[in-house]
Amino acid sequence: MESRPVTLGQELEIAEDGIISAEIFRQIKEENKVFIFQGESNGTRYEWTVFGSDIDTPEEMNLKIEFGKRAEGEPVVFRLMTDTSFSFAPVLSIYVDGEWSENDRTVYRRENEKVEKYCEAKIVSDRKQSIINLSLKDAGNYFLPVSVREETTESSSEDLDSEQDQVEHAQDAYVTVPSQSDGRILSDGKQTEKDKYETDPVPAGKPMPVEPENQTVNNQKVYTCTFSIECSSILNHINDLNPDKLGVLPSNGVILPTGEVQFYEGESVFDVLQRICKENNIQMEASWTPLYNSAYIEGIHNLYEFDCGSGSGWMYRVNGWYPNYGCSRYSLRQSDVVEWRYTCELGDDIGGGYAIGE
Amino acid sequence: MRSNDGFAKYHPIVLFLYFAILLGFSMFCMHPAVLLFSMGGSICYYGQLKGRKNLSKLLKRVLPLLLITIVINPSFNHAGATILCYLPSGNPLTLESIAYGIAAGLMLMDILIWFACLHEVITSDKIMYLFGRVIPSLSLLLSMTLRFVPEFRKRFEQVKEAQEMMGRDVANGPLFQRIRNAIGCFSIVVTWSLENAIDTADSMKARGYGSGKRTAYTLYRLEERDKDMILLLCCILLLLGSGGTNGKLFWRYFPDIRGKITDPFTLFFLLTFLLLVFLPAIIHEKEERIWRSFK
Repeated sequence: MESRPVTLGQELEIAEDGIISAEIFRQIKEENKVFIFQGESNGTRYEWTVFGSDIDTPEEMNLKIEFGKRAEGEPVVFRLMTDTSFSFAPVLSIYVDGEWSENDRTVYRRENEKVEKYCEAKIVSDRKQSIINLSLKDAGNYFLPVSVREETTESSSEDLDSEQDQVEHAQDAYVTVPSQSDGRILSDGKQTEKDKYETDPVPAGKPMPVEPENQTVNNQKVYTCTFSIECSSILNHINDLNPDKLGVLPSNGVILPTGEVQFYEGESVFDVLQRICKENNIQMEASWTPLYNSAYIEGIHNLYEFDCGSGSGWMYRVNGWYPNYGCSRYSLRQSDVVEWRYTCELGDDIGGGYAIGE
Repeated sequence: MRSNDGFAKYHPIVLFLYFAILLGFSMFCMHPAVLLFSMGGSICYYGQLKGRKNLSKLLKRVLPLLLITIVINPSFNHAGATILCYLPSGNPLTLESIAYGIAAGLMLMDILIWFACLHEVITSDKIMYLFGRVIPSLSLLLSMTLRFVPEFRKRFEQVKEAQEMMGRDVANGPLFQRIRNAIGCFSIVVTWSLENAIDTADSMKARGYGSGKRTAYTLYRLEERDKDMILLLCCILLLLGSGGTNGKLFWRYFPDIRGKITDPFTLFFLLTFLLLVFLPAIIHEKEERIWRSFK
């Protein structure tokens, strides 16, 4: 079968009325293109990335968005002007000023005075501007609150403290809520020298690396953590992407949606990644690097280091912190939140530039 | 002239142009049809040049290389969308990396066989003729180094035989002793070669090398058929070049195998390449037939 490979299409400006004709979507679908539609409203620039593979039946779409006036530090409020919902959910990228410290936010949709959670947005941020990526298909008013992190961690800790869990794991050091020591050795921040595997001092309060050769996996003790793999930053750097790799780029930037996974006592982030990729049939290549005493993730889902510019590659984050050591040296605990994210700018775009070091 | 080959009798410029185009394409195009055609053409021509026996000897030497590449590539390259199974290292074995290994191995084989043909067809006197005036020192160096390897081998054989007569056996005896003897042989051959190089230099100096412009006797004349052939090769180069730059010979192995094959333009360019690779074999066969009909 000779199907058309995915290729990069045009970048089009969204007209005043926001209408994109069905003809254009037919072209995108038939030629298997990736089109970018750009617009601006009230000083906020936005961009839709439309993949031909997502379109079932090409039809006219209104991609216009109106933003509310916003000062820095205020929530982002906008309205999707279309009358009917879209048949698929393309990725919307919103460019806002300033650095956003968090990389995930819940997007809320308001309809008839009813406010509901709509989706999770991934934020790609450097010092001057941030790009908010989210998938939208429904008409209506949306807003992103300024800070949601405290709220979500609280709710998740409540879930955890349900009675059953407490009884079962009362004596278990692994199960205390994140941010506490839970059997980990945390950095006191007093270290000034690199350790023997070239790791810069670990910031105070963060877990110290654990050498994989000292860990024993205990298959009897099963815990759960939250795991996700995403590469939405590529959608904002799509012109830098190796054109051969457009075909494997997921149109919403999500390779493995956020979900609960099980792991065994003593397993590292790398062990879990390897198993999860095997289970979900996701291609993953890693190489053991003795210098850092850790595996190095070269590529996931055929998206490799350097595929999207010279500063691109995979990074991982646990509980909101990008460790400055390899993923084989990070030992997991109950309820850890592990995210694998693709960076195009040495971590700066996904808020992890500090992990690279000087 | 080493062999009675019709193609080798063309003017050296034609031969050089031919191999430059052919090797260029065989080296840079990973289209499987191109690789297979190139393989067919090279094997066919080498068989005509050196006979079946030598061909099978060459293939026996080259085939292991193909097998090694097929094994090595998938064990170090894990890219590709089709996961077949997992290797002990934890990395996936993919269909694409195996396919790429086969393609790379075929390309390596193609190039080696074509170079074996080139060695038969473009002899060192032709190299001197082609580059003697443009880059005199390089062509001298080339012809000397090309000659050096077989000569070194011959001398090593001689030294080894002489040493064996004296009881310093390289093939039998304790391992340490054998290594010692082999190193001794090697040292003698190197000394001999270096001494010989000094002799050569002295001899060249005595005959006035470098004192003026050198002339060389050659009996190559650019005939009508050479001009026709140059025209044909230029046409093929233009066609293939345009096909290559327009992506008509596109083929990729990662992340999934994709390429053009049924496109009418692609078919046309592939046929052009087929003509290119079988050109020497066709000419050889044609000359043979004429020769036989005169007998």
